[in-house]
Amino acid sequence: MSINLGYFIRESVVNFRRNWVLSLGAVITIYLSLLLVGVSLATSVVVTNIVKSVEEKVSIQIFIKDGANSSDVTSLQNAVAKDDLVKSVRYISKEEALRIFKEQTMKESPEIVEQLEDNPLPASLDVELKDPRNVEQMVVKIKANPDFLKVCDRPDKPEESLKYSEQTVKKLFALTNIVRVVLAAFIGMLAVVSLIFINNAIRLAIYARRKEIGIMRLVGAGNWFIRTPFLLEGVIQSLIGAALAIATLGVVRAALMPRIGEALPFLPMSVNTTASLQISAVLVVSGVLIGLVGAAFALRRYLKV
Amino acid sequence: MVIGRGRETGANGRGFCYHYASGTALPVPADESRACPRPPSGSFLEVMPRMIHMRNVSKYYVEDKPALVDVDVEIQSGEFVFIVGHSGSGKSTLIRLLLRELLPTTGEIVIAGQDVIRMKSWKVPYLRRNIGCVFQDFKLLPNKTAYENIAFALEVIGKSRHVIRTQVPEVLRLVGLEDKIDSYPDELSGGEQQRVSIARAFVNRPPLLLADEPTGNLDPQTSLGIMKLLERINKTGTTVLIATHDREMVDTMRQRVIALEGGRMIRDQDRGVYGYVD
Ligand SMILES: Nc1ncnc2c1ncn2[C@@H]1O[C@H](COP(=O)(O)OP(=O)(O)O)[C@@H](O)[C@H]1O
Ligand SMILES: [Mg+2]
Repeated sequence: MSINLGYFIRESVVNFRRNWVLSLGAVITIYLSLLLVGVSLATSVVVTNIVKSVEEKVSIQIFIKDGANSSDVTSLQNAVAKDDLVKSVRYISKEEALRIFKEQTMKESPEIVEQLEDNPLPASLDVELKDPRNVEQMVVKIKANPDFLKVCDRPDKPEESLKYSEQTVKKLFALTNIVRVVLAAFIGMLAVVSLIFINNAIRLAIYARRKEIGIMRLVGAGNWFIRTPFLLEGVIQSLIGAALAIATLGVVRAALMPRIGEALPFLPMSVNTTASLQISAVLVVSGVLIGLVGAAFALRRYLKV
Repeated sequence: MVIGRGRETGANGRGFCYHYASGTALPVPADESRACPRPPSGSFLEVMPRMIHMRNVSKYYVEDKPALVDVDVEIQSGEFVFIVGHSGSGKSTLIRLLLRELLPTTGEIVIAGQDVIRMKSWKVPYLRRNIGCVFQDFKLLPNKTAYENIAFALEVIGKSRHVIRTQVPEVLRLVGLEDKIDSYPDELSGGEQQRVSIARAFVNRPPLLLADEPTGNLDPQTSLGIMKLLERINKTGTTVLIATHDREMVDTMRQRVIALEGGRMIRDQDRGVYGYVD
């Protein structure tokens, strides 16, 4: 098969040179498509990171009244900690709450801290959930716990003794779902556009070589022998496109990411090496697939053997 | 007026002649009915004395307008046969059926013992490697030299470089073009281009060579040279089938002639002539 391989590569190169405008067009569209796919994937990675970091901050705080019976508090803490939905429960004493408050407030408005005479902050239980989506279910459970009413900050209005960011979580999930759907649709559309472009490039390559193909058939060249250079051409075009897209993404990641990170320090914007290797692999594989499928479509329609 | 005889091979392998004039079949011994060159001994041809068998072959491109109707053709190995007829009489259709570029609407086609109609499509290239073909428009690649055009045909069926380097110059010598080996088609005359295309068809030494109007674009003098070349190829044992409407040529060559009219076989004659005046 060694002559065949040489033949196929030579044919593909000759084809590429002969139809370089068309081939270049196909390469550029694949490049742009895969670049956008890459950007979408990277965005999706970043969004996932952001969501995760926000999710981690979602917790339920139970405020405890001053002078609550400590065995009641412990019993509530144990009951909540045993629940399947709960990852961890942490007791934060009045003193610790004050210290955290001071730390957070000191920088921005030290005068407030200075004005504090006694400790106005309640002790609390910080409940972290395994899955933040279960936050409301957990709130109901806590409210039903008899110890909760005994120790809570405002027994007259139990809801006020619980703090959790229900709305934020809901909105965030709705948003990430929309982002995911939009990205998927976008990627799907781009894949279709790339397929159309490859299909077109290969169709024109077939058209440009129809005379050779006719002669090859006539002298008895095998069907796959005739098809392979075109498939290979589609794959080579999309691999070049994929390589360019990966290179561009690499440059963007190296040059732009740190600056974005500086501008938005509160959001985890980084795409780590593993993720970018995975994205590169996805681009190469989808490039090869797009090349093969696009060329195969063209062969089916325009190359009857 | 229809004269001449058709030919069929019976189950016993003996032929019989069909008198169109009288409408009766007259049995004759097979060896009397066809004096064909003996194939080289030990070759593929010897075990396959019957090269082409077409029976009840009809081809309808569109309904109600057949291109071929009930055609029966038997051609033995080593024969030289003309298919004649007006333009549109079905000659090219017959050639394309033999190349399995087309499938017939009805009938059976067997080439060198292989059922062409039931043949799997992946086997078709192997059938074509055993059939050389030549066309009116030469079908040469303009960006390749004479040598490269022939080498291309060998290369795409996976012949080694060694085979290509030895066989291409040899076949170009055979067709009398050894000094045009590096010429591009547009540097060659029509006759020379047709010689290159014949060289390409013959370089594999196929047992069967089909030619569709090989002299259609050539002047009479050049045409005669091409026909003589095809005759020489036939002498090597290759069966040659030529579709043409070149009356003078057919009359000069005195070979077997099968005449088509409106897709029907109207005549099959040894040492025949074109036969009718337009
Ligand atoms: N691809 C085709 N589609 C439809 N009709 C065709 C096609 N090729 C040939 N025909 C018709 O079949 C008939 C025989 O054509 P052809 O075999 O080319 O004749 P010849 O070669 O003797 O001139 C003609 O009537 C022609 O119009
Ligand atoms: Mg014709």
